[in-house]
Amino acid sequence: MIVRRIAAILFLPMMFAFGAGVYLYLGTMKSKVVKERAQLPTVTKPRFVLPGTMYVAQEGRLFKLSAGSFSEIGPPGDWSQPALTPDHTKMIAVSRSGFYSDLYLLDLDGHVIKRLTKDDSRIIDGNHWAFYPKVSPDGATLMYSFDSPKYGYQVDMAVWSMPLNGTQTQARRRTTPNDHTGGDVSPIPLAGGGLLFVRHSIEASTAVTSQIYYQSRPFAIPKALTSEADDCSQPALSPDGTQLAMICTGGKQTAKLEVAPFTGNALGPAKVLLDGRLFAAPAWSPDGKALAYFAPAGAAGHFQLWYLALPAVPPSASASASTSATPSVGTTPTVRASASPAPTQPVPVQVTQGVDLSATSAPAWF
Amino acid sequence: MAGQGPARRRRASRLDPARLAALTVICLLLSGTAGAAAYFFPVVVAGVGQTGQTVVVPPGSSPNARPTPSAPPGAPFTVLLLGSDDDSKFQADHVLTQSMILVRVEPATKHVTMLSIPRDLWVPLSTGGSAKIDAAYSYGGAAAAIATVQRNFHVHIDEYAWIGLKGLIKLIDRLGGVDLFVTNPVLDDFYPNDIDVKYIYGYKRVAVLPGAQHLNGAHALEYVRSRHNDVNGDFGRSARQQQVLLAIKAKATTLNAADLPDIVDALKGEFKTSMGLDRVRSLLGVAASFDLANVKQVVLYVPAFTNYDHGPKYGGQSVLIPHWTEILAVTRANFP
Repeated sequence: MIVRRIAAILFLPMMFAFGAGVYLYLGTMKSKVVKERAQLPTVTKPRFVLPGTMYVAQEGRLFKLSAGSFSEIGPPGDWSQPALTPDHTKMIAVSRSGFYSDLYLLDLDGHVIKRLTKDDSRIIDGNHWAFYPKVSPDGATLMYSFDSPKYGYQVDMAVWSMPLNGTQTQARRRTTPNDHTGGDVSPIPLAGGGLLFVRHSIEASTAVTSQIYYQSRPFAIPKALTSEADDCSQPALSPDGTQLAMICTGGKQTAKLEVAPFTGNALGPAKVLLDGRLFAAPAWSPDGKALAYFAPAGAAGHFQLWYLALPAVPPSASASASTSATPSVGTTPTVRASASPAPTQPVPVQVTQGVDLSATSAPAWF
Repeated sequence: MAGQGPARRRRASRLDPARLAALTVICLLLSGTAGAAAYFFPVVVAGVGQTGQTVVVPPGSSPNARPTPSAPPGAPFTVLLLGSDDDSKFQADHVLTQSMILVRVEPATKHVTMLSIPRDLWVPLSTGGSAKIDAAYSYGGAAAAIATVQRNFHVHIDEYAWIGLKGLIKLIDRLGGVDLFVTNPVLDDFYPNDIDVKYIYGYKRVAVLPGAQHLNGAHALEYVRSRHNDVNGDFGRSARQQQVLLAIKAKATTLNAADLPDIVDALKGEFKTSMGLDRVRSLLGVAASFDLANVKQVVLYVPAFTNYDHGPKYGGQSVLIPHWTEILAVTRANFP
């Protein structure tokens, strides 16, 4: 009897422990999408050491990637879209609140030097959005997307410019977006006063397209550099200004990372570097020989930083593109992007793992 | 006799190793089953409470309509997906359906067709009178929504699934967010500020920036719910809703059975369906195997399928007038 009682006493906790163990074990069997949570970049170790210094954003925080490790910079808040000044001594970043966003001038350690815009209002629809800051090559002008003018339900962003050392009262609108489309985004100021930007249009069939446009001067009729069918956006100009990286979807839910020669006002034939995934926010390496971009990795789908060394461009390709591209006024592209893949497909390298970088904040890299 | 007593007690008190082993296995099986039952208990509760909802659709609501349930396992079937505004604005089960999507699933060919029904479509309701189609659910629940769609679109609906806004947010968050390519900036100065706030009739500004990105539940909801600054209004929103549905599907294919309690917890009180667990299981199987290339998306946009109108005869509302000839041609072709 005593043995039985002892056995019973031993069996009860054993049963309880086993039942609890099964419960807990099932919990560990959850798929990664449910249990995998993103980490801050600072607690991760990049798999690959990038040349130079890069600034990225995650969950409203700015991070500096240098010498193979991340460090957080900037004051608390909801920060995004860092963009360097041409001399690489300062950066502009977007600070977003619930109802508005402002542009700030920061030093490279993230300390605020100056608030550049004041877009808040006590009336909800009196607030404004400012996004996509970029400084002109001479460092004098700041261009950005700004949702003004607004009319009732219509809130579309146009490209605006203001002196970097001036005030928002000196800001002037440069483009006139299509109504009720979200407007014009991703400005890239060019030397000589030109501008690249992305314009959105929506057809009655609900098809939404984006095109990269070139504008020679404020309010000049912009010229489409890419076709509606290619649906290209997120342009990034190489440091020497001769190549344009972009993301094209062709109206699908997957993207292509493409690069095309750029003559200053026209694009040559594009090369598809990568295809078939959700690529975002390309940025050129300081030497112009590689690209960084974001794409999901793993089951959870968080966006990671990737590095892509570019194949050497045959001299004839850019030369022929620059001679064949003729600038003209209109809304149709002069050079249609080619969908043919590059002869030697470059191999992307995943730089980060387990983070969730903001894919709408292109890396700032120098 | 007196001498047998102690001997029997000794035999009884000795545990036979085989019996002990059998007892151990039985105990472990029992406790393991209990542990698994505890883990999946929320799923069972939800399975009983939220799936297999019985709806009584009035007969004759469509020329070829049959009462639900109908489609046998493996046969093509049509589901009416309903998405509703924040419930707290309305009495329980008397909500407007901001989103109505007809989905036809063909398990054999792994083809899926999605047709978004504009919420402002002015139609005769199954409960009587005419109104915007999003009111059908508020007057008569899922049965009225199904009957109204069947009667007007001449389709047979086998099942329905309803989800509330909070349920959608929680579902996407439990899935760890969704990845999609936002086609254009979605800016809205009059976006309803009615989730987890005391005053549910306020507005807020939202801005969802374009490009590929990872959206959490709240941002995904902003993307699918905003319509004020879309040149196509509710149609643009419908296209975005289909896009997010496909992104959810892409994420859901990576789930396994151990994820179910989390998903069920996310949808607690925010999800109802007429589908039984068997149909849900087969639907998940189809979702896991079909390709996005086999998904056909249809939006009844202006002016091909509808036109705008307003005035006293519509209660002073802006409505969409259906072009039934064109609409029925599309539904006949895609929802036989």
